[in-house]
Amino acid sequence: MNDMEKNSALNRRDFLVSGLTGLAGLVVAFHLPVGAQKAFMAEAATPLAASAVPNAFIHIAPDNTITMMINKLEMGQGVNTSLAQLIAEELECDWKMIRSVSAPVAPVYNHTVFQTQMTGGSSALSSSWQQHRKIGAAMREMLKTAAANRWKVPLSEVTAKNGHVLHKTKGSLSYGELATEAGALKLPQDPPLKNAKDFKVIGHSMKRVDAAEKSNGKAIFGMDVRIPGMIYACVARPDMDGQKLDSFDEKAAKKIPGVIDVVKFRDNHIAVLAKNTFAAIEGKDALKAKWKDNQYSTASTESIYKELKEATHKKSVVAKTIGDADAGMKNASKQLEAVYEFPYLAHAPMESMNCTVNYDGEKAEIWSGHQMPTIDQGVAAGILGLKPEEVKVNTVYAGGSFGRRASKASDYVVIACHLAKEIKRPLKMVFSREDDMHGGYYRPMNVHRVELGFDDKKNLLAWRHYIAGHSVIAGSVFEAMMVKNGLESTVTEGVSDTHYNIKNFHCEQTRVYSPLTTLWWRSVGHTHTAYVMETMIDEVAVETKTDPMTLREQLLKDSPRHLQVLKILKGMTGWGKNKAPKGRAWGLAVHESFNTVVGQVVEVSIEENIPRVHKVWAAVHCGTVVNPEGAKTQVESSIAYGLGAFLYQKIDLKDGKIVQTNFDDYEVLKIENMPEVKVEFVKTDEPPTGLGEPGLPPIAPAVANALFRLDGKRVRSLPYLKGKTA
Amino acid sequence: MEINVNGKNMTVTSDGNTPLLWVLRDELGMVGTKYGCGKGLCGACTVHLDGEPTRSCSITVNDIQKGKVVTIEGMNTKVSQAVQSAWVNNHVPQCGYCQSGQVMSACSLLASTPKPSDKQICDAMSGNICRCGTYARIKTAIHEASTKIS
Ligand code: FES
Ligand code: FES
Repeated sequence: MNDMEKNSALNRRDFLVSGLTGLAGLVVAFHLPVGAQKAFMAEAATPLAASAVPNAFIHIAPDNTITMMINKLEMGQGVNTSLAQLIAEELECDWKMIRSVSAPVAPVYNHTVFQTQMTGGSSALSSSWQQHRKIGAAMREMLKTAAANRWKVPLSEVTAKNGHVLHKTKGSLSYGELATEAGALKLPQDPPLKNAKDFKVIGHSMKRVDAAEKSNGKAIFGMDVRIPGMIYACVARPDMDGQKLDSFDEKAAKKIPGVIDVVKFRDNHIAVLAKNTFAAIEGKDALKAKWKDNQYSTASTESIYKELKEATHKKSVVAKTIGDADAGMKNASKQLEAVYEFPYLAHAPMESMNCTVNYDGEKAEIWSGHQMPTIDQGVAAGILGLKPEEVKVNTVYAGGSFGRRASKASDYVVIACHLAKEIKRPLKMVFSREDDMHGGYYRPMNVHRVELGFDDKKNLLAWRHYIAGHSVIAGSVFEAMMVKNGLESTVTEGVSDTHYNIKNFHCEQTRVYSPLTTLWWRSVGHTHTAYVMETMIDEVAVETKTDPMTLREQLLKDSPRHLQVLKILKGMTGWGKNKAPKGRAWGLAVHESFNTVVGQVVEVSIEENIPRVHKVWAAVHCGTVVNPEGAKTQVESSIAYGLGAFLYQKIDLKDGKIVQTNFDDYEVLKIENMPEVKVEFVKTDEPPTGLGEPGLPPIAPAVANALFRLDGKRVRSLPYLKGKTA
Repeated sequence: MEINVNGKNMTVTSDGNTPLLWVLRDELGMVGTKYGCGKGLCGACTVHLDGEPTRSCSITVNDIQKGKVVTIEGMNTKVSQAVQSAWVNNHVPQCGYCQSGQVMSACSLLASTPKPSDKQICDAMSGNICRCGTYARIKTAIHEASTKIS
């Protein structure tokens, strides 16, 4: 069984079946038997009454259409399709009759591991693998029993197929016809699950259920929500938390046509309310709001790098020690030191942050692409002085997230709710692109210093690794859970748990305070740790005159999944036999993150001083592949996202202020720079592991390793292109 | 003032200096056209103005005058149908937020260049950013749509 998941034994108390008002038919709810009434949702855990709508994963309508309630945020990764596939496989329904909608907030929809409703950590499939299939199987058994009862035949004589229950003499009944009767039945205790060899939906590239409406403009994102009487709000905020307000020009804002009012709130925020988004943005810009200096007002990218570099020389917390790296370094006949710099990064999803609120003083309803809806609900309720169940949370499509919408502090929901409390009018609060890039949450800055020692026969003797970086989770509710003995695994993951068999290895970590608020950014610590590990391993290969593939095979000989991935890569590229064409070079990297191993070989050239990545071959071990085409899109997406960051992206601080503003100075990958990507998966029946993020970590080091083959230079400071290039 | 959107004359009251994007979205409630950057940098807001792909964030309603605006909601041609079904077929949309703009740009490319090369696709689509990195599939889908319409 998948160890990501808690045991999900079914019992009557945990599995509510009821009729539904509005959606005639059957509701299946699955309530995890773990202490769900914890932390943030004590209040929300109560309303599981029989007629309550929010307790369902499957709605079967009389016309046999099936609505899957998806308890994860659809932000591009395809959960509305892949999670539906898990249920559909066992339910034996007609795929064409399925649609998916985002679930409301209720404990029944909690993440099976994190016990709050949330999406993240590349865990949607791994944490739902048993749960969702059991939900589908239980439903199927109940439908079969309902048919057998109606026909008065033994259960063993009926089968379920394509949305119908069949009997050789009685004929067939649709699920829609049986739904109500099935709903009154006892829950099967241990519905049999299919063997992988019998899968008809899992492992098949079902078309995305949301593809059509995302191609014809009908899909509704947070930005598109419209409620009666709604006004638009844009909010001026400081770059750093807690900066005191200095001045703003209210008159100038009010002169903008369409501006309704200017509201100061939360001490240092100023909202411009307007008849349309444009007037709100223009009004906010016209405020020319200024905030007072704080102790970080002299902070700059350079000063932070200096601080972090110094920290890598001080004694800090030991993350991992194997053998005796100090002795190894002392005995080394050759030593090598490398220092790496990683900047702040903005997530910059295509849809900037926004939240729509309808608050009348008594109850509230909010709309957004909620990635942590339970927390958002609790936080909104707290601000508005309501009980969580008095805040209806509507989750709509998110125009990307990459970590940003899993805000530690529900930041944009908080702003919108504070404003709603102030003005008590329906409102939509929108970050302009510039607002989205400022005063937000960033991938932290990190510096790595690595020392390698080699003996006189050029064997690797010792590896000492010092990481100084900003915390990802400081100041959040996650800190208590995720920081142990001063160690933050989200900073060292990928180094301290490396699979490379290095005899004398030592890793230390220093957490340094960040003047900007920080957050997980697609693949979190692996965004930088994989880069350092994989480029340093490449240096070891060069130093020991070993082929980079062979070296990895030697150092990973006890890591079978890594070896399988490397084997596939050799097959795809003909590594060792084939070579990159003239003027181009290959680079290799392999890395495990979120329990998935991804290896990539890239083919790169340098054209007018700019790296050009022509091809990427990717091999992936992510357990069972639920939707092969969908899985490939996640690898392609991770490559595009990671390559853009490697080439162009940084958020700079200058005199305590953020420099970048929009897509002209924070460039992203464009179509002409997208490499051709080929993806192959390791064939296995193991449960699925994550794939929203693991495709990202190898791309940058693979490209860097190829670049070294071309120009002999090591890229230690990211991004590669420091200035504007477009 | 009146503007012509998707073949209909519509009266709008927003200030004349308001970009078309916001008149479409906030006044007319046609939210298929998206805001990504507001500065002509991302292509999410692409509409057709007299058949030409145009960034609606960077043109005011005043400037539209008698021009005919077509938005994603008004797309219903052989080309747009081919593009949209190729989009579904090739698993193009991920988050989907950029895709209205992508589809609008792809449709004008195919209307003027029914058999585009990879280079022509890149040139025509370069202004349309996709943070989900759907680019490779966009290329494939445009080629597929191209064979369908010929
Ligand atoms: S919103 Fe118009 S180009 Fe970005
Ligand atoms: S599909 Fe998400 S930005 Fe393009």
